[in-house]
Amino acid sequence: MNVAITSRSFFGQALHRPTPFLDFLLPSFTIPSSRTRYAPITSSSASPNTEPSPSSLKSFSSNKRRKPLSKTQREFLDRGLRVNQAGELAATLIYTHQTPPITRAHPHLRSLMHRMYFQEAGHFSTFNEMLAKHRIRPTAMYPVWSAAASVLGWGTGLMGREAAMACTEAVETEIGGHYNGQVRVLLGWVKEMEDKGEEVGEEVRELVSTLKRIRDEELEHLDEAVGEGAREAKPYELLNRVIRSGCKGAIWISERV
Amino acid sequence: MAAAVPLLHTRSYSLNLFGLISRIQELDRGLMNNDYHKATARRLEHEAPSPFSPTEDAILSAALAHVPTHGFTTTALTHGARDAGYLDISTNLFPTGAFSIVNFHLVTQRLALAKHASSLQPHADIATNIRSLALHRLHANKPIAHRWQEALALLSTARHIPTSLRELALLSDELLFLAGSTTVTSAWYTDRAALAAIYAGAELFMTQDRSKGFAETEEFLTRRLEEGEKVRGGLDMVGKWVGMQAGGLVDGLRSKGVWI
Repeated sequence: MNVAITSRSFFGQALHRPTPFLDFLLPSFTIPSSRTRYAPITSSSASPNTEPSPSSLKSFSSNKRRKPLSKTQREFLDRGLRVNQAGELAATLIYTHQTPPITRAHPHLRSLMHRMYFQEAGHFSTFNEMLAKHRIRPTAMYPVWSAAASVLGWGTGLMGREAAMACTEAVETEIGGHYNGQVRVLLGWVKEMEDKGEEVGEEVRELVSTLKRIRDEELEHLDEAVGEGAREAKPYELLNRVIRSGCKGAIWISERV
Repeated sequence: MAAAVPLLHTRSYSLNLFGLISRIQELDRGLMNNDYHKATARRLEHEAPSPFSPTEDAILSAALAHVPTHGFTTTALTHGARDAGYLDISTNLFPTGAFSIVNFHLVTQRLALAKHASSLQPHADIATNIRSLALHRLHANKPIAHRWQEALALLSTARHIPTSLRELALLSDELLFLAGSTTVTSAWYTDRAALAAIYAGAELFMTQDRSKGFAETEEFLTRRLEEGEKVRGGLDMVGKWVGMQAGGLVDGLRSKGVWI
């Protein structure tokens, strides 16, 4: 009897809280996690510690930079900011069209969706201002990206919470990487300017801090999407691949036209 | 900004693409005030250097003074070189010959617009500013208006067409920027194309205009700009209407429980 009790409690425990070494007793219907390939950027919402933050970024002298940016530098900014605006346009539209089906099925996601939407709308107007101020043309594919982003948002919204979150994860991974690349290049310029003993202009300094802030917010969305079960989306691998290659293609095109 | 954002969000629960885009346009019109667009604001931390060297500048501006008598010809260019104190041979600086005078006139007058922009009414609407700037630019053609057909002929020769189109596009962009336009949607392209067409039309009209002080050209320009506004307004309205209908349809179906 004593043995029976011990064995029952043992199996009870084993069934309710399966310990790793008894896993093999249960039939496995799920794909072992080691075989699933996740997106390479697993982020933390904080800026990486390794990112240099030159001291001149923190000085608040409002001096204008004397030496103009070089032609290649201006071209880089032209292309970069154009892509950023197109990206934020798409993000705003994706969240706009995902929100109704998602919040109807999962009312607890309402605040998350709205917060992400408002942040994206803020980024979008920031880049709109920058484009107008620096006379950078918007991408010629504007109507195409608008339509594509609306369809993507609506489609993944209808597919359910996990698909919508997988879409967010894929988009934010690409855009986070894109912003990271820009920040890296800009920090490179800042370092070069410092080495030459030049004044780092107000505008470059502001641009770096704005881009960093926006990048961190995008990566926060990525974390939140993963937390809401992005990786349980049914054809996760497919969705992730398709959306990310779509983003890459859109970035490539928007840089050029 | 915080006050403007909810505007964008009020009826976002639908597929009304057109409505959304026009609301985004309203939003960025509301966001940007005119101070932002002082004529001094150029590309990022970059002052445009003069596109002509001092020598070129001296010869070409002297040549331009001979255009009313000699037209856009190499004769005017030679006279210009002499006036500026250079040898006749120095016209070899300009491989495009007479066209370089046309190009010089276009570029310098375009850049001179920025000075005029600072005299614009501070809170005038964009359409008024565009009209004022375009008129100012047309008036700069006054002294050479009777010779302008020659310039147009040069501008439309095959080898110069890329330069002329580029210059027209730059002028259109300059006019809109100085007028305070901050549109950064696909209307950026349509606005520029429409203004370029209107301006080119007015310039052509001016070559035939014999009225005093080119009053008829002024009227022509005003009429074309008004028409442009009307067409734009009409298209906006159609877009909004379609957006509202589509949004209403989607909302209606959702309220009936259709899973869309």
